[in-house]
Amino acid sequence: MSEYIIESQDLTRDFGDFRAVDKLNLKIKRGEVFGFLGPNGAGKTTSIRMMVGLLHPTSGKVLINGQNINEVEKASIGICPQELVLWDNLTPNESLNLMGDMYGIPKKERQMRAEKLLSDLFLTDKAKTQVKDLSGGMKRRLNLAMALVHEPEIVVLDEPSEGLDPQSRRVLWNYIRFLRDDDGKTVILTTHLMDEADKLSDRIAIIDHGKLLRLDTPDNLKKEIGEGDVVDMKLSDQSKNETVIAALKDLDEIDSVSEIQGRINVYALDAVGKLPQIMSKVEDSGVKIADLSVRQNTLEDVFLDLTGTTLRE
Amino acid sequence: MKFISIASKAAKELLRDRRGLIMILLFPMFFMLVFGFAFGGMGQQDEPHNLAVINYDQGATLPGTGENLNFGNNFTQVLKDIKYQDSNVKIFNVNQTNLNDANQLLKQRKADAAVIIPENFTQSILSSASGSNSTTTVIIRGDTGYINFGVSQGILTGILGQYQDELVAGIKSQLTRTPVQRVSKAIESKVESLPGTESFTNFDFLAPGMIVFAIILLATTVASTLTREVDRGTLSRLKLSKMRSFDFLFGNMIPWSFIAAAQVIILLGVAMLIGFKWQGGLNSIFLAVLVGVIGGIASVSLGMIIASFARNDRQAANLATIITVPMSFLTGAFFQLPHVIVANIMGQPFEIYEILPWTHVLNAMRTVLTFGGGWSDIAYQVGWTIVLTALLFFAGILIFSRTRLQPES
Repeated sequence: MSEYIIESQDLTRDFGDFRAVDKLNLKIKRGEVFGFLGPNGAGKTTSIRMMVGLLHPTSGKVLINGQNINEVEKASIGICPQELVLWDNLTPNESLNLMGDMYGIPKKERQMRAEKLLSDLFLTDKAKTQVKDLSGGMKRRLNLAMALVHEPEIVVLDEPSEGLDPQSRRVLWNYIRFLRDDDGKTVILTTHLMDEADKLSDRIAIIDHGKLLRLDTPDNLKKEIGEGDVVDMKLSDQSKNETVIAALKDLDEIDSVSEIQGRINVYALDAVGKLPQIMSKVEDSGVKIADLSVRQNTLEDVFLDLTGTTLRE
Repeated sequence: MKFISIASKAAKELLRDRRGLIMILLFPMFFMLVFGFAFGGMGQQDEPHNLAVINYDQGATLPGTGENLNFGNNFTQVLKDIKYQDSNVKIFNVNQTNLNDANQLLKQRKADAAVIIPENFTQSILSSASGSNSTTTVIIRGDTGYINFGVSQGILTGILGQYQDELVAGIKSQLTRTPVQRVSKAIESKVESLPGTESFTNFDFLAPGMIVFAIILLATTVASTLTREVDRGTLSRLKLSKMRSFDFLFGNMIPWSFIAAAQVIILLGVAMLIGFKWQGGLNSIFLAVLVGVIGGIASVSLGMIIASFARNDRQAANLATIITVPMSFLTGAFFQLPHVIVANIMGQPFEIYEILPWTHVLNAMRTVLTFGGGWSDIAYQVGWTIVLTALLFFAGILIFSRTRLQPES
């Protein structure tokens, strides 16, 4: 059995003149949580729709276990879409049984699975309440359960935390970990939430404008722009940003420096200890610092470093 | 079987959405009430055109000359040729037929009136011209509650009077060689109701039309429901499963067929409450429900086709309304349309409107509910309904599957 369960080869999708996904090459390992990180409109959902067989690519292909997606057994993938895709007038129990039947699961078995999923996702009390009467968080958890009732090998979660309260988000995150660790599922997680991608993913693909920018573990990605901290500063005269950046690049103590939306970000290990040298370099350039903060390096910084912009939401 | 689960799901959604269900059932009821009050005692203005003629005239020999005459044939020809004053338009479109077919044409309103010429027609006219006191009675048969019959009957009586005056006088003059001032009455006309229609109003003819209108309107709701599945993404969820197109579409069709059956029963009840004279026994209700369900399946199929192209449920509802309302008129649900015969199938004229299954549903419903007909009277219509509905259903499955149940291109 191959190490990789999903492989996309030069996956491309055009909508008229607009290229939503541009030659995406990915290999997703069996049993990992694979994070798809990018801003809204980056091409994550389009990529996912092609990977699960809902959308034909303009070119390129998707292989599941080495087989073309069009020839793959339908039950091998479960998708939890970004939107709440539920039947309002059915109860959670009825919804899960319906989906179970659609995947050809025998009645007794699907009832057992429905009960277990409802229990695991804290929905047992609401098993017989119509979906329209559930809270947003409950609906989101049911949305996830619907993707799992047929026990797929691959679970695709498209922005699963969207609109969730912290309590529901915690339940969801724990369940995603459970899916990987206890059930051995491969989980593909698309998100624009950096902390979600950071905390849950074994590996992360950063995508923007339909292109793959980086693919690595969260730690390695963060190391790429410098382990440790970020000194985020705003100069009193922003026209001097380039001069200051050129001067800071001469410092051996820092890993990198970049301009992000008019501010200068300096990446360095133990940045607090290096602040005197950094400030001295800025002052030597004849500019004053209007605002300065020091914080820990995050995936957001990786993203900013790669794209030069913040997330579009 | 997956389609049973889909049917169960669709039924639960329908029944639990009480407001939607009430709307589905009440909207046509509102139409029924409006039409009931509007046409319950009123007629509608329509030009009389179609006449069925049954000529039993045996003919006779003209005394003296020995010439064989058949005034029945002559009168039929007169009816065929007569035109409106100062116009080239013929007054009647004559269909020479037998009594059974004529009754059928009257029931289907393909004929406005039937003229029955008796066996002794020629003999009586000749006798009258010879001076004996002989009369013959021409029967004008039709649905006396139908305004077109009233108009036709009025014209026919006038023509008949004029025909006898001129004909008898001409013969008398020929026999006596002298001009004739007055002639005795040789031809009488008698108006006869089509059995079962004696006290009909236009509403008795419209009520089955309203039921069919309600059935056609189901296409609107089905189209929006299916488009909602697309719009909300629930169809994508189902597409990823092992469900086949047939499971989805056949499963959805089942509860809608029950709705169609309910429509027939409820609307028939409402129609009867406001004066619809229902003919026939429980058997006619059973037959009406049966054709109603088949018509409902045709509407579901039309809904599938509309849902294949609509972008959202509102667009589906609008598109379906644009299609279903004019189509209801084409079936003749509200009033009779001009006859446009495009073919002759199994000895029966096939009108352009009959390409729609609901036209046959309507004809069958009128036959069983308005005229108390049985299975043998509607077998032809039901046959057509089944054939056309099956074609529409398979077209619906094909188009919906290709546009909605395949991966997006």
